[in-house]
Amino acid sequence: MNKVLSLHDAVERHVLDGVGLLAVGGMHLHNNPMALVREVVRQGQRIRRLLTSPCGAFNAELLIAAGLVEEIATSYVGFEHLGLAPAFRRSAEDGSLRVLECDEAYITHGLNAGAGGLPFAPLPAGLEVSDVWKANPESFRLVEDPFTGTRVLAGAPLRPDVALVHAAEADTAGNAVLAGAHFVDRVMAMAARTVVLQVERVVPTEVISRHPVGTTIPGFLVHAVVEVPGGCHPTASHGHYRVDEDHLRRYLALAGGAEGPRAYVEQYVRGSGEADYLQAQRAPASGEAFA
Amino acid sequence: MSQTDARTNGGAPAGPSIAELMAVELARRLRGDDVAVMGTASALPQIACRLAKATHAPDLWFVAGGTCGVNPRLAPAVPSCCDEDLLRADTAVPLSDVVLLEGRGDVFTVFFSGGLQIDAHGNCNLVSVGDRARPSLRGPGTVGLPFLARVGRVLIYTMAHNPRTFVERVDFLGGPGFLDGPASWAAAGLTGGGPAAVVTPLCTMGFDSQTLRMRLETVHPGVTVHEVVEATGFEVVVPEVVPPTPLPTDEQIAILRGIDSDGLLKGR
Repeated sequence: MNKVLSLHDAVERHVLDGVGLLAVGGMHLHNNPMALVREVVRQGQRIRRLLTSPCGAFNAELLIAAGLVEEIATSYVGFEHLGLAPAFRRSAEDGSLRVLECDEAYITHGLNAGAGGLPFAPLPAGLEVSDVWKANPESFRLVEDPFTGTRVLAGAPLRPDVALVHAAEADTAGNAVLAGAHFVDRVMAMAARTVVLQVERVVPTEVISRHPVGTTIPGFLVHAVVEVPGGCHPTASHGHYRVDEDHLRRYLALAGGAEGPRAYVEQYVRGSGEADYLQAQRAPASGEAFA
Repeated sequence: MSQTDARTNGGAPAGPSIAELMAVELARRLRGDDVAVMGTASALPQIACRLAKATHAPDLWFVAGGTCGVNPRLAPAVPSCCDEDLLRADTAVPLSDVVLLEGRGDVFTVFFSGGLQIDAHGNCNLVSVGDRARPSLRGPGTVGLPFLARVGRVLIYTMAHNPRTFVERVDFLGGPGFLDGPASWAAAGLTGGGPAAVVTPLCTMGFDSQTLRMRLETVHPGVTVHEVVEATGFEVVVPEVVPPTPLPTDEQIAILRGIDSDGLLKGR
């Protein structure tokens, strides 16, 4: 079955306005499925709750900057060594964005619980001394361990309605190979009801089946494949290109200006189709050629 | 004191920057039987681990969380923990497996930590300053810091030694140190050993064995005890004698600069 769709059609068909839980893959400024994220912004789909990997970055920031996110479940949104994420920071500070405080253990084990149909994810002893669960009673409970009788922390399973995930390549059936680090993208894909894959290139099944154990996400979990070479820009795509730090610094400068992050959204995303955006970003200033 | 040169003798190689001195301080605290793990923006501890492996602790293991490269080569070191260069390594583990093993509690013996706020008992906060619902500063989030409760030794480092960072009590406890001191620490019955050292641009600190409060160990070249006390927002324990932080040897500096060949730490 051929699952390849255009960027527009994949988002229109699978990311419905008001989506309950949308997960975005990648970690820090690496392997963010930015073409899919930009298309969500262009189509203006509102997101009731956004979920990141343990470290969200420009994927979450852009959706927040566009004013589309009501709540976010995350353990980190930032630009790592480049600094804080200004839209996330501002909207969390002024109360317009509700933050469901999570940590790396809960996001990972919660997604595993979602993937495995587990009713909840019991978490290692000791994590209950942090304030994370106290700040997020919706996602965490203290429960009795049925074997020892001790009190343990448990997290609700994470079952994204839709996961947007980047892979280096996939065949038309959605069998995908992640080049470089997997982060939690594989687990996210297993937990989600619908998976939309963004890839650098679509390859014949014979290429994938040469190394079947290297397949990171099996096609039976995948609903749509969108080929966007360069689509992770300005984040890195492992195996293909690096982070465009100059571009991200321009974003930070624009976001820090009088008009705030929305100026960037209008100029670079809403005011530009994906092909035009990518064409414009191939400027030598980025220092990296797209594969 | 100069931010970029911790000593003035002008010998070759040039004296260490503050960040290089800090990397050497962290490296001193790593052992050959350690398995260390580190996360976001962790070039400094990665360099420290590589330096320890190249000098006194060749059998050390370290996992650069994010990509989860195991014993990444560095040379050059990279600023992001998710850079694919960190997969130029002995091997690599999926992040979800590293999270599993962090929970096991007896695999990783050293965890590096830091924070927007670090308090007198070594608790760390990356979440929020002020009321979390309407914070005066919203930080990025806590990532894996709650795992500090389960790790053998926690090594804390920060490039910001000032009263806003070093506070009496964190506004949000994300990464546990010695909690509220001896009574609460004992009551919590944690399997981890708690924070072992705090390395800053001004000094290296440990913890007082009675009060479990931060205690000055050594001051870096050119820094006075008074400056540390002024820059710390709580009453730091000051012993009668505070020796200077030992200077890195020329060999250590040369090895470190071979690892950090792009000079991430050189100008800091």
